[in-house]
Amino acid sequence: MIPLSASAVGKQYRSRWAVRDCTFALPEGKVIALVGPNGAGKSTLLRMAAGLVRPTAGELRVFGTPVRGGTHPDVSFLAQDRPLYGHLTVREMVRVAAGMNDRWSAERVQEVLGLQAGVDQDAKIRTLSAGTRTQVAIALALGRLPRLLLLDEPLADLDPLARDETLRIIMAEVADRGTTVVMSSHLLADLREVCDHLLLVDDGRVQVDGDIEEVLARHRILVGPAADESAVEGTLVSATRTQRQATLLLKDSGPAPQGWSDAEPDLESLVMGYLRASRARTSAPRR
Amino acid sequence: MIWASFRLQRVQLLTLLGVLVVGGGALVLLRSSMVGAITSARLTECVERGGTACASVDQNAFLDDWSNLFQVARILIIVLPILIGVFVGAPLFAQELEHGTHVLAFTQSVSRTRWMLSKLVVALVPALVVVAVLQYLVWWWLTAAGTLGPRINGAWHPVNFGIDHVSPVAYTLFAFAVGAFVGVVARRTLVAMTAAFGVFVVARFALDGQVNRFVTPERRVAADGLTVDMRDGALSVGRGWLDAAGLEVPWDRAVSVSDACRTTSSAATQGQEEFLACMRESGLENRYSLVLPESSTWIAHLYDAAIFGGFAVLLLAGTVWALRRQS
Repeated sequence: MIPLSASAVGKQYRSRWAVRDCTFALPEGKVIALVGPNGAGKSTLLRMAAGLVRPTAGELRVFGTPVRGGTHPDVSFLAQDRPLYGHLTVREMVRVAAGMNDRWSAERVQEVLGLQAGVDQDAKIRTLSAGTRTQVAIALALGRLPRLLLLDEPLADLDPLARDETLRIIMAEVADRGTTVVMSSHLLADLREVCDHLLLVDDGRVQVDGDIEEVLARHRILVGPAADESAVEGTLVSATRTQRQATLLLKDSGPAPQGWSDAEPDLESLVMGYLRASRARTSAPRR
Repeated sequence: MIWASFRLQRVQLLTLLGVLVVGGGALVLLRSSMVGAITSARLTECVERGGTACASVDQNAFLDDWSNLFQVARILIIVLPILIGVFVGAPLFAQELEHGTHVLAFTQSVSRTRWMLSKLVVALVPALVVVAVLQYLVWWWLTAAGTLGPRINGAWHPVNFGIDHVSPVAYTLFAFAVGAFVGVVARRTLVAMTAAFGVFVVARFALDGQVNRFVTPERRVAADGLTVDMRDGALSVGRGWLDAAGLEVPWDRAVSVSDACRTTSSAATQGQEEFLACMRESGLENRYSLVLPESSTWIAHLYDAAIFGGFAVLLLAGTVWALRRQS
């Protein structure tokens, strides 16, 4: 069963398309990195998958069921700003969330709250640190026993330690329950450790969609003399050129020509290459 | 879900409970103390309309003691709907939308409709109960004071009308609905609070007395030909002259005849009787008034409740509609 698929999904806000003609089908049981610059449409895509926002065009399906004006029972969504009632204690917050769900695992919530240093359940939510708030929000998301977990910037605002702890909670969930996770983030270095699949969005469109290992294996970074690029084969994604040297990101490239060094890109340079390319397209005059 | 709604509404609910207990207790005590004061000042007959020997020193002393308290109680019932609209209705959804916590609710398994209905019921029903109870106690107290209190002005007096029957509950519903609706549309608590206040005050003033037109007036003829007895609390909505056959004389004719009679009897020695005789010579027999009897205020109250309640229902339906398409 495909946990999340989109067919020609678009979302228009007034005259601007936040998401445009997005088509993909995500694999089950994987951790999917949803990557793109600010304003690329990552949040809109996740909010549409969670049933919060209605697409202007196309359709999203969660486990085969079209998403229409509500969250699928097997989906949990962690919003970017971690909406929690600040004036409640953690214990009360958990009780409020439990009351809003038919299927609820109090043990799972307690388990997640007890991880790492443990959360003081009698503390008011607004007194918690950003890391602890995220931990509480993730605990509530996991209490729904989701099969698909949508995380919007789960690592933003977290210090390195809290980031590491949060990732560990997510990884434990994947290992224990085989949950499919889609998480958007800017922190490519952190994503590399935990993600299997890459969905790169920019300007509202899907730019790359595939298994990270395969995607990386299909790309090469070639560094060589700026004067002579004619011998290079393959699809040029993007290039940075200085006076003497050119750095090219290529897809399905041939063997490196004489005088060029050849390396497999890491996730960060791959993503950077694609973003640079789409930036160049956007800033170029449109016909 | 119900527990959640109660917990999230706790501050408002406790405040309402406090208002109910303190206000209700004070009203009961005030009433019993006032009844004692009336008895000890031997003013018991003055409570009923039409008591004769009531303009006394005792009555003035009584009014000095109590009239301010009557005003406070009436102001409480006038102001309570506004307070509920501003502090209970307006923040109900606006605060969630402002802080983004509606996203939390919208991504759980409870449906949006059930979530908002549960919030609406938990916020609105206690508010209406508090208004109804306090209004009943004020009515009970003012009834005991009778014509020694504000009832002397009759049930049609705008302030008396506004605190009687179903009107306060309908006003509360309306103020609440305005706050809730603007809160959902504007997504700002402060905007919703301001709108609840402003719209309510404007609507109350604009519609004040408008419902009286739904009550059929009665014709009341002056017993002495000139003065219509209005001491029973009826509201005059028109007047004129009747001819000998008991038909209404056109207004302009009545005016010209009356002007003519006034000039001829300008000596003003004979006064009223001469004036009336002059009028009757011209065929204008008696003065009459069109009055709304005090006993039919309930009709106006029902129309009042239908108008404010109708707007409130529309606004609440709009609130539900706007929240369902909220993203």
